[in-house]
Amino acid sequence: MSEFTKNLKETIEKKHGEAHELFKEGGKFEKLYPLFEAQDTFLLTPPDTTKGPTHVRDAVDLKRVMFTVVVALLPCLLWGIFNAGYQYYHYSGVEAGPIAYMLRGSWIVMPIVLTSYIVGGLWEVLFAVVRKHEINEGFLVTGLLFPLTLPPTIALWEVAVGISFGVVVGKEVFGGTGFNILNPALTARAYLFFAHAKDMTGEIWAKSIDGATGATPLGMGAAFGGEGKNVVDALADRGHTFFSMFGGLEPGSIGETAAIPILLGAAILIVSGVGSWRVMSGGCLGLLGAGILMNFMPTQGMEDGEMVQLTTWTQVPALYHFVMGSFLFGIVFMATDPVSAANTNMGKWIYGALIGVVTVLVRVTNPGFPEGVMLAILFMNVMAPILDHYVVQAHIKNRNAKLRKFSYAKG
Amino acid sequence: MSAEFKINKGLDIPMEGAPGDQVRRIESKGTLSVYPSEFKNVKFKILVEEGDKVVRGGVLARRKDIPDCFVRSPAAGTVKSVILGARRSLKEIVIEPAGSDDAETFDAYTAADLLSAEREKLLAELTDTGMLGVIRQRPFSHTANPADVPKSIFVNGMATAPFRPDAHVLVRGKEKELQAGLNALTRLTDGPVHLNLDAKAKSAGDALTGAEGVQVNYFEGPHPSGNTGTHVHYLDPIVPGDVVWTLRVSDVLLIGELLLTGRVPNRKTVLLAGPGVKEEFRGYVDAPLGAPMSELLEGALEEGDLRVVRGDALHGEAVNVEDSGLYLYDEGFVVLPEDRERHLLGWYAPTTEQFSAHKVVPSAWVKEKKRFSFGTNTRGSKRALVLTGIYDPYVTLDIMMDPFIRVCIAGETEEAIAMGILESDPEDFALCTFVCPSKTDFGHIVAETLSMIEEEGI
Repeated sequence: MSEFTKNLKETIEKKHGEAHELFKEGGKFEKLYPLFEAQDTFLLTPPDTTKGPTHVRDAVDLKRVMFTVVVALLPCLLWGIFNAGYQYYHYSGVEAGPIAYMLRGSWIVMPIVLTSYIVGGLWEVLFAVVRKHEINEGFLVTGLLFPLTLPPTIALWEVAVGISFGVVVGKEVFGGTGFNILNPALTARAYLFFAHAKDMTGEIWAKSIDGATGATPLGMGAAFGGEGKNVVDALADRGHTFFSMFGGLEPGSIGETAAIPILLGAAILIVSGVGSWRVMSGGCLGLLGAGILMNFMPTQGMEDGEMVQLTTWTQVPALYHFVMGSFLFGIVFMATDPVSAANTNMGKWIYGALIGVVTVLVRVTNPGFPEGVMLAILFMNVMAPILDHYVVQAHIKNRNAKLRKFSYAKG
Repeated sequence: MSAEFKINKGLDIPMEGAPGDQVRRIESKGTLSVYPSEFKNVKFKILVEEGDKVVRGGVLARRKDIPDCFVRSPAAGTVKSVILGARRSLKEIVIEPAGSDDAETFDAYTAADLLSAEREKLLAELTDTGMLGVIRQRPFSHTANPADVPKSIFVNGMATAPFRPDAHVLVRGKEKELQAGLNALTRLTDGPVHLNLDAKAKSAGDALTGAEGVQVNYFEGPHPSGNTGTHVHYLDPIVPGDVVWTLRVSDVLLIGELLLTGRVPNRKTVLLAGPGVKEEFRGYVDAPLGAPMSELLEGALEEGDLRVVRGDALHGEAVNVEDSGLYLYDEGFVVLPEDRERHLLGWYAPTTEQFSAHKVVPSAWVKEKKRFSFGTNTRGSKRALVLTGIYDPYVTLDIMMDPFIRVCIAGETEEAIAMGILESDPEDFALCTFVCPSKTDFGHIVAETLSMIEEEGI
């Protein structure tokens, strides 16, 4: 350790020792102890020693785990900033270069991220202080996930309302981190989705620039399907091919348009062991399977004795479902939230697979919502405990069958 | 007949301070003590007063739950004091040794005689001499109840936790005691006696691998392949209603000595290891039973604030050195530095100095085999349980850890039983505590649940 960091550490330790007097029980700011704890353990590892029968511990800390998710999200955030800048100039009809995209993108995106962190963070601290529990690092993730699911044109006050709803109703009313049933970031998004629908979907760039239609490929696809067109060709006519959607210079929510940064994040999560590869794989298989099955749906049907044209949206190739809309982002970052996902291994496979299936069902068979990932994940969040219950029961049954062979009293 | 198992789950913790195999003999300098308090959940009635003369093997106290079971003196001498602990429980009886070798004798056998000895007679002798205390019973890991007939007996001859004594070192020069003890055990059950050894020592060719009359099994793999819980699970899992007895090789040696000589054992070989022990002292100590800790540790410890752990670093009990001695059931001590040092931004510093099993920590990527330094620091702060699916790879029992630990925390004893808590001992979950990023104490939670189940009755 260099002299400088050593001195710095000693100074901080000394100051913290003094500050601890104020915050500990009976101190002047006793009530704000969670705040002190949060920044104290942020700057310095805790001096606590082990109690109980296990005397040594692994070097891992939940802070490090959560921060790994934040790191995994950074490629998406950077791409989101670039894309927001690009879309802005594209629809304004102004020529600009990548640096201008990044600057303009930051100007659009960073206030959204900051609003989410500051407002959500305040709620987090408030509940920690009132409930007297630690401030949980999980919020570092929620606070960044949420803005990445929003369109860049969202108003800041809407961000504030959304994250408040997500943190309070999605998490704290259940008892805080670790106890929530729904993914808090998605709860926040769902709230905005239904309460502020017109700002969340459809023609997201249109309101800032007159005359340009900034509809997402997903929204357009559903519309083309309804008109009975060949969806792939119709999308290609508007400049949305499989590879353009894979690349992600497309209108959409901030973090979800491009596949490569998401796959990069997925790689970080899987290699570090933080995100469940079972949920991700299950989800992709479910989406693929349901997408393929949909292709067998008829495009014409009988209604009142007459042959009518049905939606051709069902005929879109299954692989398109991966790159349209937010499926990849949802399955990699939202569905893998360990608290709201299933917690058994088999449960994770089923949970992931059903998210894929429900996503396709909502997208294709539901005329109201073009996007199904959010609803699919929230629905499966609610179902996860039931999945786990059956997995556990099956395991117990299996276990008892094995044990019976060893019973002393078997006679 | 023997069985072999290869276990893929688990984790060997590369801790600094591994012991050598030298045995250091120490003699008693002052008083010796008997500690009835080492047997948890057992109450004793004192039968001697200060100033009473006792012989080696003389009666000191009686168990209240099993009145035929006595606590006996390891040496002839005078009762110097009787020390009571919390709620007037009998904590310690201090003996001033007289230096003579007067002893009460019990039935002595030859190893061959033991093979045909009556179960009742053997059991009565073990009970009477208090040696029953080294036989444990599952479920619940209490001292064996002589009224129960175990469906099988497990003898653990493995050492995978950091650090437990190597059974092959303990049996050196005590080959006869080992075989006699094993012979006696075969009489205590109708089922098999399993002697479980490390596959790495298969070619040792000593008294353990060559043990007769018992089933010698080999387990291969990282910790907890050496835990008795693993052996029971793979060989003869516990079904509710069943009872198995469990011992370690060091316990079998005590029983063997008693039955061969007819005198209660008065010495024991234990391990002293860990980063807090000076390198030349990391090894085995052959010491008088009841010797004070201060004599056992004399000159062996490094400077600084240290924690002496009875048992191993993963599952043990912190010892108050001034106030404790060598228990009958002791197997070894691990000494760790009390680490209260704070690291600047340590939660994200790219450390390769502190060991981790998680790939989020750079040290998990270090390929070269090296030993890491360990102290008692929690290396993180306590948080709610968040990550799932990370504990199963460290548990060898057929238990789904995520739902299981939640059920235990919620106090749902019925579900905990259905999921398999009865075949477990808290030590089987020590690795979960070790790797938990939320710093949850799994051993404590399981122990609480087990005692709740015991109170309620199965």
